[in-house]
Amino acid sequence: MLDTMFSSIESVLVVSLLLTPVISGLLVTLLKRKRIIEVTTVVSSFLILIQGLFLLSSILEKKSISLFDGIFYLDSLSAIMIITISLVGFLSSLYSVNYMGIQYDKLIVDRQKLVRYYQGFNMFLFTMLLVPISNNLGIMWIAIEATTLVSVLLIMLYTKQGSIEASWKYLLISTVGLSLALFGIILFYYANSVYDNSFNSIHGMDWTNMVENALQFDPNLVKFAFIFILVGFGTKAGLAPMHTWLPDAHSEAPSPISALLSGVLLNCAFYGLLRFHIISSHSIGSGFSNTLLIILGIISLGIAAASIYFQKDVKRMLAFSSVEHMGIISVSMGFGVFLGIYGALLHVINHAVVKSLLFFSSGSISQKYQTKSITDTSGIIKTMPITGFMFLIGGLAIIGMPPFNIFMSEFLMLSSGFSSENFLASALVILFLVIIFASFGKHLLHMVFGNPKSEMEKGDFGKLSILPMVILGSVIFIMGIYVPEPLQTLIEDASKIILVGGANS
Amino acid sequence: MPTQIDLLYISAVILLIATFGIVVRRGFSDWLHAYRYQTIILAGVVALIAFVTNIWELYIVSALTLGIKAIIIPKVLFYVTKKLDSPIKLETNPYVSLRISVIFSALLVTMSYFMTLQLPISSDKTIDVFLPVSFSLFFIGLFIIISRRKALNQIVGLLTIENGLFLFAVVITHGFSLVIEIGLMADILVGVIISSILLFRMSRTFDSIDIKNLESLRDD
Repeated sequence: MLDTMFSSIESVLVVSLLLTPVISGLLVTLLKRKRIIEVTTVVSSFLILIQGLFLLSSILEKKSISLFDGIFYLDSLSAIMIITISLVGFLSSLYSVNYMGIQYDKLIVDRQKLVRYYQGFNMFLFTMLLVPISNNLGIMWIAIEATTLVSVLLIMLYTKQGSIEASWKYLLISTVGLSLALFGIILFYYANSVYDNSFNSIHGMDWTNMVENALQFDPNLVKFAFIFILVGFGTKAGLAPMHTWLPDAHSEAPSPISALLSGVLLNCAFYGLLRFHIISSHSIGSGFSNTLLIILGIISLGIAAASIYFQKDVKRMLAFSSVEHMGIISVSMGFGVFLGIYGALLHVINHAVVKSLLFFSSGSISQKYQTKSITDTSGIIKTMPITGFMFLIGGLAIIGMPPFNIFMSEFLMLSSGFSSENFLASALVILFLVIIFASFGKHLLHMVFGNPKSEMEKGDFGKLSILPMVILGSVIFIMGIYVPEPLQTLIEDASKIILVGGANS
Repeated sequence: MPTQIDLLYISAVILLIATFGIVVRRGFSDWLHAYRYQTIILAGVVALIAFVTNIWELYIVSALTLGIKAIIIPKVLFYVTKKLDSPIKLETNPYVSLRISVIFSALLVTMSYFMTLQLPISSDKTIDVFLPVSFSLFFIGLFIIISRRKALNQIVGLLTIENGLFLFAVVITHGFSLVIEIGLMADILVGVIISSILLFRMSRTFDSIDIKNLESLRDD
């Protein structure tokens, strides 16, 4: 039995990928010493990154892997998610050592809370990794709901009024949203069960199974169900107008967690949406879901533009910028041509990298300045030279300055918008991007180059806070010049998976 | 002797009555009692459907529903209400008054009947009876969440939505496979525990579980 289960190297890899964070979480619970739990978490997330890279290489070779009787299914799309989760997860664990260490020294968190933090951190990685690996859409839903529960625990680590409010809103709105998504999933399952003999077995909800049967689904049922899926997963992915929980939750969480929430978790929810987008495209053509994606994306961009313009809080500004970028991904996906989808998937990675850099640096900055207000934070480059420089790079990248990576993917999006003749949408996107460019840029310049208060003590925080930022900064720079060969192939393969449905229409 | 179809109708009516029990009453423990009745009936309905369709897995699902959702979850929430600091355990002034809430919920039930007629879902006995009821639970749960000010009531609303979804899944697809069913219940149980911790923190920090205290984070 065990022989057949572990017949391939991939099955071993997937199992150990899922077990690593669980074991590390258990070790953290048992050991409890500050230094030891930090090391455990960093080592385990490094192992996750290595295993993720190995999985990536075998997916590149085999295109898709189905394991354990089809319970796990990995293709290029899952690989993109796994690689972003593990990269940001590893860097975030490194940064946590410094960030939570300072909180610990300042007596903001005690030992018990530190243990809870690292337990939550490991479980958070586990639930997020489960999302792209599971083939069964029911299990995927359970994993996404579990990410909500774990991250609520992490946000309410501080017992401040703000974090209680943020976690309550987040728990309630996300759960209601996800229950709408579950409603949609049940409808898809019903549509599938009518045509499928494996009715009521676990494979009736498999994504691969649904894609195969998609052409036979009742078109009206698919449209009805997809709207629920879009609203449901859209809520969790931070698409406006269902984004209201996001700025609160992302700004009240500890900074390393904010990076994971903004950079990775939103993508996980969008990944769920994408899987149903593919099923629906196979069934009724991609036109219907594409239009909806463009509309929601434009609304998100508009709301983000207005909110960033009037923003006074650094972390809230970054959170709204995540709403903006989920909007960009959604619009770019909705243009429905190869170039747009390629750009959207590239943007998933680019946004994850840049947003983590911004949250890391703004975390250190707000610890130094003891405030999250934009007006009171000025002259970072003079008080914290390296952190300030990294914040500047991240800020310039996020508003789409060349030669950084986000410029590339936004350029791809816009050119695909014009080539697919979505002129109105492209024009609106440009308008909102210009507004965001101007207002984010103004805040950025003030914060980086303004005059610092005279009594500020100069100097950056420890090496462990600088190292993750420098790594992310160099990734941003390299990805802005060229996308490495394997990554290019990976994104092309994933784009083809999404586009195949479009070819049917 | 009631026939099978009578039993279906009677259980559907009791389910709706229990749901209205959450809407019309003010006391914290009244909602929990109403929720418990609702879930017990739900477990019975699932057992009935298991009997009609002869799917043995549904018996296990019914037992799990009874154990986790009708016994453990109300117990956790009863414990929370008992330990809460606030002396008055009543909803005094909801956003929508109770009288209007009842009328509104009745409208939601009517709407559910109309909506199910539009859905392209093939009909049989159980679907005809329970599909509109499951939609009603779903919508009334949503309505409770947006119209009430006590955080506990919102949890009960969330649980009602979940019951509606569960009934919906059981009726049209005869439930998910057992693994997923167990995963869902685990999610719900953990969710209830986390929200109980939040309730405690809320009542300790703000001296009440009124969500009007939760309006300080905003952009202005």
